[in-house]
Amino acid sequence: MLELRGINKSYVNGRQVLADLSYTLGAGEYVAVMGESGVGKSTLLNLIAGLDTPDTGEILIGGTAMSSLDDDAATRLRRKEFGFVFQAFHILPHLTLRQNIALPLLLNGASRKHTEDRTEQMLGAVGLHGRAQHFPRQLSGGELQRVAIARALVHCPKLILADEPTGNLDPDTAHDILMLMRGEIKANGASGIIVTHSHAAAATADRVLVLTKNGLRPEDAAHPANSLQRR
Amino acid sequence: MIFKLKSLLTRSLNFFVTFFVVTCVVATCVFAAPPRFSQVIQGVPLTFPHDFGAHPEFRNEWWYVTGWLETPDKKPLGFQITFFRVATEHDRANPSRFAPKQLIIAHVALSDPAVGKLLQDQKSAREGLGLAYTKEGNTDVKLGDWYMLREENGHYQTSIKADDFTLRLSLAPTQAPMLQDDNGFSRKGPQPEQASYYYSEPQLQVMGTVIRNGKEAAVKGVAWLDHEWSTAYLDPAAEGWDWVGANLDDGSALMAFQIRGKDGSKVWAYAGIRDASGRFTLFEPEQVTFAPQRTWRSPHTNATYPVEMRIQTGATVWLLTPLQDDQELDSRQSADAVYWEGAVTVTRDGKHAGRGYFEMTGYVKPLTL
Amino acid sequence: MLSRWLLLGEWKAHLVQAAVAIIAIALGVALGYTIHLINTAAFNEFSAAARSLSGQSDLEVRGPRATFDESLYPMLAQHDHVELANPVLELDVAIPGNLHERRDATLKILGLDIFRASVMAPDLIGIPAEDKLFDILGDDAIFLSPAAMEWLGVKQGDPLQLRVGTQTITLRIAGSLRRARAGQRIGVMDVGATQWRFQRIGQLSRIELKLMPGSDRAAFKAALEQELAQRGQYLVTETADQEARIANMSRAYRVNLNMLAMVALFTGTFLVLSTQALSVVRRRHQFALLRVLGLTRGQLLKQILFEGAVLGAIGSLAGLALGYVTAATALHYFGGDLGGGFFTAVKPEVRFDPLAAILFFILGLGITLLGSAAPAWEAATANPAPALKSGSEDAALSKLATPWPGLLCLASGILFTQLPPVFDLPIFGYLAIAQLLTGGIVLMPRLSALIFSALSPASAKRKPGTVASILATLSLARLANAPNQAAIALSGVLASFTLMVAMAIMVASFRVSVDDWLKHILPADLYLRTATSGDARGLTPDEMKALASVPGIARVDFSRSSQLMLDPSRPSIALIARPIDMSDPGNTLPMTDDAIAPALLPRNAMVIWVSEAMVDLYGYTPGKQVTLPIAVPAPSFIVAGVWRDYGRQFGAIQMQLADYQALTGDRHVNDAALWLQKGVTPEQMMKSMKSLPFGNVLEFSEPGQIRALSLKIFDRSFAITYLLEGVAVIIGLLGVAASFSAQALARTKEFGMLRHIGMTRRQILGMLAVEGGLLTTLGTVLGFTLGWCISLILVFIVNPQSFHWTMQLSLPWKGLLAAALVLIASAAMAALAAGRRAVSGNAIRAVREDW
Repeated sequence: MLELRGINKSYVNGRQVLADLSYTLGAGEYVAVMGESGVGKSTLLNLIAGLDTPDTGEILIGGTAMSSLDDDAATRLRRKEFGFVFQAFHILPHLTLRQNIALPLLLNGASRKHTEDRTEQMLGAVGLHGRAQHFPRQLSGGELQRVAIARALVHCPKLILADEPTGNLDPDTAHDILMLMRGEIKANGASGIIVTHSHAAAATADRVLVLTKNGLRPEDAAHPANSLQRR
Repeated sequence: MIFKLKSLLTRSLNFFVTFFVVTCVVATCVFAAPPRFSQVIQGVPLTFPHDFGAHPEFRNEWWYVTGWLETPDKKPLGFQITFFRVATEHDRANPSRFAPKQLIIAHVALSDPAVGKLLQDQKSAREGLGLAYTKEGNTDVKLGDWYMLREENGHYQTSIKADDFTLRLSLAPTQAPMLQDDNGFSRKGPQPEQASYYYSEPQLQVMGTVIRNGKEAAVKGVAWLDHEWSTAYLDPAAEGWDWVGANLDDGSALMAFQIRGKDGSKVWAYAGIRDASGRFTLFEPEQVTFAPQRTWRSPHTNATYPVEMRIQTGATVWLLTPLQDDQELDSRQSADAVYWEGAVTVTRDGKHAGRGYFEMTGYVKPLTL
Repeated sequence: MLSRWLLLGEWKAHLVQAAVAIIAIALGVALGYTIHLINTAAFNEFSAAARSLSGQSDLEVRGPRATFDESLYPMLAQHDHVELANPVLELDVAIPGNLHERRDATLKILGLDIFRASVMAPDLIGIPAEDKLFDILGDDAIFLSPAAMEWLGVKQGDPLQLRVGTQTITLRIAGSLRRARAGQRIGVMDVGATQWRFQRIGQLSRIELKLMPGSDRAAFKAALEQELAQRGQYLVTETADQEARIANMSRAYRVNLNMLAMVALFTGTFLVLSTQALSVVRRRHQFALLRVLGLTRGQLLKQILFEGAVLGAIGSLAGLALGYVTAATALHYFGGDLGGGFFTAVKPEVRFDPLAAILFFILGLGITLLGSAAPAWEAATANPAPALKSGSEDAALSKLATPWPGLLCLASGILFTQLPPVFDLPIFGYLAIAQLLTGGIVLMPRLSALIFSALSPASAKRKPGTVASILATLSLARLANAPNQAAIALSGVLASFTLMVAMAIMVASFRVSVDDWLKHILPADLYLRTATSGDARGLTPDEMKALASVPGIARVDFSRSSQLMLDPSRPSIALIARPIDMSDPGNTLPMTDDAIAPALLPRNAMVIWVSEAMVDLYGYTPGKQVTLPIAVPAPSFIVAGVWRDYGRQFGAIQMQLADYQALTGDRHVNDAALWLQKGVTPEQMMKSMKSLPFGNVLEFSEPGQIRALSLKIFDRSFAITYLLEGVAVIIGLLGVAASFSAQALARTKEFGMLRHIGMTRRQILGMLAVEGGLLTTLGTVLGFTLGWCISLILVFIVNPQSFHWTMQLSLPWKGLLAAALVLIASAAMAALAAGRRAVSGNAIRAVREDW
C-alpha cells in the first residue's frame, strides 16, 4: 500500500529530520507513529500526503511513485486515496456538517445520489445522525472530530492520515474518538497511520512505531500499549 | 393656370396647406409697408415689344408654352414649359439683393404615350443675384439654368434641363400676337376687376432637340404661347377651370375656357378663334358650353377627369381627345396639388381640325373646397 | 456545487465586506457610466443640433470671419457640379430687456432662402399661419423654435424685440419651427430680411453646397479651393470638418471628466484588492484544508476568481442600473451640462448605450478580477501544510510586498511625464498618474514596515510599564511586523486621498491663477459693452465719440472682438483689437515670459500677441511671421509675445485697434474700458452715460463684479469635480471600514488572549483606534506626498495639454489639512467601530475558536 524508500528530509534551516527512512505499510494495516517533538512526525505525514517532497528517496502509494506526479496529479491522488484527520479538526465553519462531510465526495466528482447516501451513512456511523444541518459552532470538540473522521472516510480512501487527532480532547472523549476511528478504518477496509504523543492513543493501532533519528522501528514489546493490542 | 401657380408655390414653400390662392393674400404685416400693385384696367392697349417683357408692378404673370412635337420616327410628343412670376408683399425698401420681392417658378412636362404618363419637373426661386429673373421690355426669363428668351427677330429660345429629360427648343412665330378678349383685356369673372392682360402667340414653329436617357432626338412641331399678367384674377366662388388652346391645321387658333363654380356651374366662360387671315371671332360666356364626353379615373389620385370634352362655341362643336389619358400632374407629396394638363387632338364638327393643349384644375377632392 | 457552497458560506459570514466591495464597484461603474451617458447624450444632442443648423450639404464654403461678401453666392450657385447652393446668414442676436435676468442672452437666428433651404434643411422651415403663408418670405417675420418661444415667453403673433448694435428692432413671430430639436433655441427668417433688419446687407455666413450626383467631392473640393483662393480667403469644409470642430470644442473637457470618473473606479480596484486579499488571508486555513483534501491549484484559483467575478458582476450590473437612473434623472432635472458650459442650451435625453454598458461592465468586472488576481494567485500557490498553521497571514501577503513592481511603476510614471500629448489629449499624463498611484500604493507596505519599525523601539523605551506605552507598543509592533495587511487596508483610502489632494491642488492653483489673471486683465474702473454677443454691431464711431466726451473720464480704451476661423476642423479663435502698450505689452496683457523684447521687433512690422493655445494649436511662436485672413490680401504680422488666457481655450489673438481698423475698415467696437477721473464714482459715471441717446442699451460692469462672476462660473464648472472627489473618498473610507472590521474579526482570538491576560475592552479598543489612527496618518502623509506629485502632473502636463493654458502652483493648505484630519478621525472611528464588534464576544470562546 505505502512504501517509503530511503527518505531524507531537511528543514529549510538545514536541520535534518528524516534520514534514510524506509518502511512498508501493508493494505489494511493501522499503525501508530510516536516520537519526540521535532523528530519529524508531521513532516513524515506531509511527505506521505504529497504536501511536501523528500530531498531524496521515494514514496510509493499503491505502487505509484509520488515524485513522478506534478502538483495537480498529486492533488488528485490525495483526494482519491487519502483521508485526513487533524488535531485542530479543520471543519469549515460556514458549511453544515453534511456539507463538510460531503466535501471529498464533491471534490472527487461523486454523483449527487451517492454523495447524499454516503454522507448520511457516515453521519450515522460517527453518531451524529439527525444533525446534518447543524453548523460546526453548534458542536463540541469531540463531535467536531467525529465529523472530521466521517469526512476522512466518506470517499472510501485507501489510507487515513491522522495527526494528533485527540490532542485537543479530554481523555474520555479521546478514547471514544480513537475507537471510533479505528472501527471505521477497519470497517472501510482502509489502512491508517496515526501520529500521536499519547501511548493510550497509540495503543488503539495494530502496531506502534517509534520515529527516531535512526528511523522507524517497532516499539519495545514490553510497552503497555502492546498488551492493549494483544487484548 | 393660376392653380398651377399655387401648386408650384406651395411646393417650393413646402407647406402642408390644402389650398392657397395667391390673389387672396392680404397684406397684414404690422411693420412692413406692403407694395401697391397695378390693377388691370379695360381699354389700356398692349404695346409691343414692351409687353413681351415682365410687368413686376402686377401681382402675377406667366409665360406658358404648350405644343406638339414629332420625333424623327414620326412619334408624337406633347410638351409644356411655364415660367411664373409672383410678386410678394415683401417691403420694397429692403435693399438686400436677396429680398424676395418677386418669385420665379417654372414647370416643365413632357407627354409621351409610350411612357404612359407625364414626365415633369419644377423649380422655384426668388428673383435676384442674376440667378433668376423676368426682365422688362422683352421676354427674357431665367430660373437657374432654365430660360426662355425672345430674340430680336421674335424667335423664342428656351432650354430646360429637367430631371428626366432636356428640352432645347426654338420657337418661330408665323403670325402676329393674338390679343385675347378685348384687345388683350381678358375677363375672368363677373366682376370687372377679375381680369388679366392676355395675349397668345399661336402657330409657333418649333425646332429643337429632346434628350432622354442620354439620347438626343431632333424634333419639330407647332406650339402655343400664352403671356398673361394680372393682380386680381379669380372669383371667390370659383372651384377650378377648364382651358384649351389649339393650333388648327388651317392656320386658325382656338382658345376657350370656362371657370367652374363650386356647384359645378359655369361662373364665366370665353372663346376666341382667329383664322389664318387674322379674322377674330369672340364668344360671350353664354355662347360657350363645355360638356364632358368621357371620363378617366386617375389611378394615382382617384380623381375623375373629363378627358374627352365637347365644347360648343356658338354653332360650332369641338371635340377634344387626349394624346393619352394619364396626363395628370401629381405633386401631392410635396404640394398636395394635382391637375390634368395634356396634349389633345381637336375635331371641329366631327372632322379633324388640329392639335392643342387642354388643362383641367380643381378635380381632386381636397382641392375642390 | 462546491463553489456555490463556499461562496454562499463566505458571504453569509462576511456580508458587510462583500457588500462594501459590491458598493465600491457599483459606485465606480455608476459614476463612470453616468458621466459617459450624460456627456454622450449632451454631446450628441449638441452635435445633432449643430448639424440640424447646417443641413445635409456635401460641402460648405465660409470665410475665416463671421461673414463674407454675398457675391460668392451666384458664382457658386451656377458652378458646374453644384446642384444646389444654400446661402445662410447666421447671427447670434442679443435680446434686450433685463440683462441680469437672462445673462448672455442671445438668440441664434438663421437667415435662409426657403427655396433652397427646404431641400437642404427642411427641418428649419417655419410654419406660418394658414392665412399668412407669405410670412415665410416676410420682411419682418421670424419663426421661433418651441424652446425659444418658451424661453422668451412669447407665442405666435407676438412682437419680438432684438438688439442691433445700440438700436432695438421689432419683429413679428410668424410661427414656429416645429421640427427643431427639443431644447434648441433658434429663430429662422428670410435671408433678405435678415440682411436688412440686422444691417448685414451683402453678407453671408456660409454657403452650403449639394453636388451633382456622381461628382467627385474630393476633386471638386480641391478645385474649388484653388478657384476661391484667387477671390480671397475662403474655407471649403466638409461635414466631417464640422463634426471635428464640434467634437474638438468639448473633447478635452469630456475626456478629462471621464478620466475623473475613472478615478472613482480606480479607487474601487484597490478596495476590491483589499477586500479580496483580506478575505483570502482570513480563509487561508480553509483554502489550505481544501488543498489537502484534494482541491487542485487551478480549482482554487478559479474558485477565488469566481468569487471576485460574482462580486464584480453584481457590482457592475448594479452600477450600470444606478448610472442609467442617475443620468436620466440628472438630464431631466439639470440638463446635459456638467459644468463645462459647453452644452447649456441643449435638452438631451438619456439613451441606453449598450456598447458603453458592456464596456463599463467589463471594466467593473475586470478591475474586480484584477483586484482578486494577486490574492488568488497567492492562495493557490501557497504550500498547504504550513498554511494550515496559524500566524502565517502576513507572510501570505509578503509576495505583494516586493518593491520592484512598485519602483517600476514609479519609474515608468516619471518617464510618461516626459512624453507629448496624443491626439491633443494628455494620455501619457493620465497614465503617469495611474502609474505613480499604483507604484505608491504597492510600495506602501514596505514604507509602513520601515517607518513603524523605526518608531517601535523608540516607543518601547519610553516610560515602560504604563498602559499607554503598552498600547503603543502593541500597535506599533503589529503595524511594523504585519505591515501588509495594514497597507492593504489603507490602499483604498490612500488612492482616494492622493487623488483628492492632487485635484485640490490643481483646482486651487487654477483658481488662484485665474484670480490673478482677472486682476491683471481688468485694470480699468468700469467696463461697458453694447450687447453680449460677438455678432453684435456694437458702437459706431459717432457713439464712441459721444461716450469719450462724457465728463469725468480720464481715459477710455475701446476694443473690438470678433471670431476668426483659421482651421475648419477647429473652433474659431477670438480676435481682439484694442490699444496695446507697445513699449510694455505686459501693462495691457497678462503676458507669459515668452515674448520678444519690443526693441527687437522690426520697426514697421505689425505685431500680434497670441494666447498660449495659439502656440500649441497653430504653432504661433514668438518671432514667427504669420498672415491673418482679416483683409485681402491677407496682411502679415509678427508674433510678439504670448499671453495667458483662461477664457478661450481654442485660442485668441490680440492686436492694435489702429492696425485692425486700418486693415479691415471696420470702425465699430464692442467694448470699452473706462478709467475715471479722481473723485468720480462708477455709479456717477454710469448715470451720466445712461443719459446718452443710446445709453439705455449699454451694459456696465465693475471689475469686482466681473471677477466675482467669473470665479462663480469657475466654481460651478468644478462642482462636478468636487462631487467626484467626494465619491472617491467615500469609497476609500468604506474600504477602510471594511478592512478594519475584517481584520478586527480575524483577530478575535488575539483580542481574547489579550482580555485573558488582563486588558480591558476599552484598552483593546484604544489600541485599535491608535492603530487605525497611526495607519491613516501614515496613509495621509504618503497620500499628500503622492498627491502633490500628481498635482504637478495635472498642473504642468494635463492642463496645458488639454486646455492649452499654464498656471502657477498653489497649495490649499487649510482645506487639505482639514480633509486629512477628517480622514484620520474617520479611519480611527471605523477601526473603533470594527473593534467593538470583535471584542463584544466571549473571550474564552474566542481563544478556543480556531478560525
